[in-house]
Amino acid sequence: FFCLFITVSDEPDTLYKRLSILVKAHDKAVLDSYEFFAVLAAKELGISIKVHEPPRKIERLTLLKSVHIFKKHRVQYEMRTLYRCLEVKRLTGCTANVYLEYIQRNLPEGVAMEVTKTQLQPLPEHIREPIWEKEVKDKEESKA
Amino acid sequence: ATERTPRNERQMRRKALPPRTEKMAVDQDWASVYPVAAPFKPSAVPLPVRMGYPVKKGVPLAKEGNLELLKIPNFLHLTPVAIKRHCEALKDFCTEWPAALDSDEKCEKHFPIEIDTADYISSGPSVRNPKARVVTLRVKLSSLNLDDHAKKKLIKLVGERYCKATDELTLRTDRCPLRRQNYDYAVYLLTVLFHESWKTEDWEKSKTRADMDEHVWENSSSEKNLLRTLGRIWATEEGTEASPGHLLGTEEAAQYRECVMHLKNQGEDDAALARYKDAVKRLLHVA
Repeated sequence: FFCLFITVSDEPDTLYKRLSILVKAHDKAVLDSYEFFAVLAAKELGISIKVHEPPRKIERLTLLKSVHIFKKHRVQYEMRTLYRCLEVKRLTGCTANVYLEYIQRNLPEGVAMEVTKTQLQPLPEHIREPIWEKEVKDKEESKA
Repeated sequence: ATERTPRNERQMRRKALPPRTEKMAVDQDWASVYPVAAPFKPSAVPLPVRMGYPVKKGVPLAKEGNLELLKIPNFLHLTPVAIKRHCEALKDFCTEWPAALDSDEKCEKHFPIEIDTADYISSGPSVRNPKARVVTLRVKLSSLNLDDHAKKKLIKLVGERYCKATDELTLRTDRCPLRRQNYDYAVYLLTVLFHESWKTEDWEKSKTRADMDEHVWENSSSEKNLLRTLGRIWATEEGTEASPGHLLGTEEAAQYRECVMHLKNQGEDDAALARYKDAVKRLLHVA
């Protein structure tokens, strides 16, 4: 299908210097498939993307095996968190919204994501010049 | 007699049809079989997948009635063909990056302020994440309109938030409950810092030589010593009084000034001390 309602507005588009997407899961196979999907989607939309794999973290805890006494018999559990980092450079706001929404709607169950956006902005107008000189001039004009 | 299934239900139960996989063509449109994320249906996926830990001298279990295949998320709806089709439809909503901003320096020159925000997605009872309201504003001080006194005052006001190596000011705000409010507060902080650093308070005028950050040449004891020594040499050689401007304007005096400033501000070094020795020798016309 194609959508008939593409709205074009005059306000300037936001610019993102880079988008850092960290995906966390318990399963390496799921992360590999998701990375393939994200990289292919980025290439099709014309976005430059780089992938690297931060080292995994394993959280282990040791609990008593029995409800009452038997201190010598314990049971150990572990939670493995595997990571994948997708770095995207130089996007406009519209493209970023489209890509992120597509990626996030197809995020599999049991997978978490953190997105860090770095937005570029020009200097605001009130930081161009210090206002003290204008205040002095205004006071002189109002006195004269 | 009680039976597991009553006789009428047994007669009315339909026979199980052959699975859909037998009717599938090899070149069918897979995106219409799995258009969205759906659980794994063994009768609809024509692949002979086996999954599970086998018993001794056995093989992994077949796909029919296999819970492991149901538990793991499948990407059957995201084949490369399907992804390409989705992207074709999404391309109309994308805009291009402006070609004039192809390098980091140009981005830095036209857009000196960088704002970092974070979004978090996870499965849980709540969609909200309290870390998402943090906003970090980073600016390079070289791109702000600051003179010498304003820059030093700003660095003193800001303290730890300024990094000298990269000449970058970082303001991290999370005191407001919403991200937009934190962003407005960060911009307000930057404005206030900028304007306050341009002001000169009355008590700033009573800054003594001991309060200065760097060694200042004008009216220092090194300058006075130099003038006195050179003045006496001039007086004995020429017999007339020499003007300080004339004495300091020579090349050797300028070099001596550079060496002394370097020693006082950047610390002593073998090379720096050797240069100071050369400068003094040239000043006194000894070497």
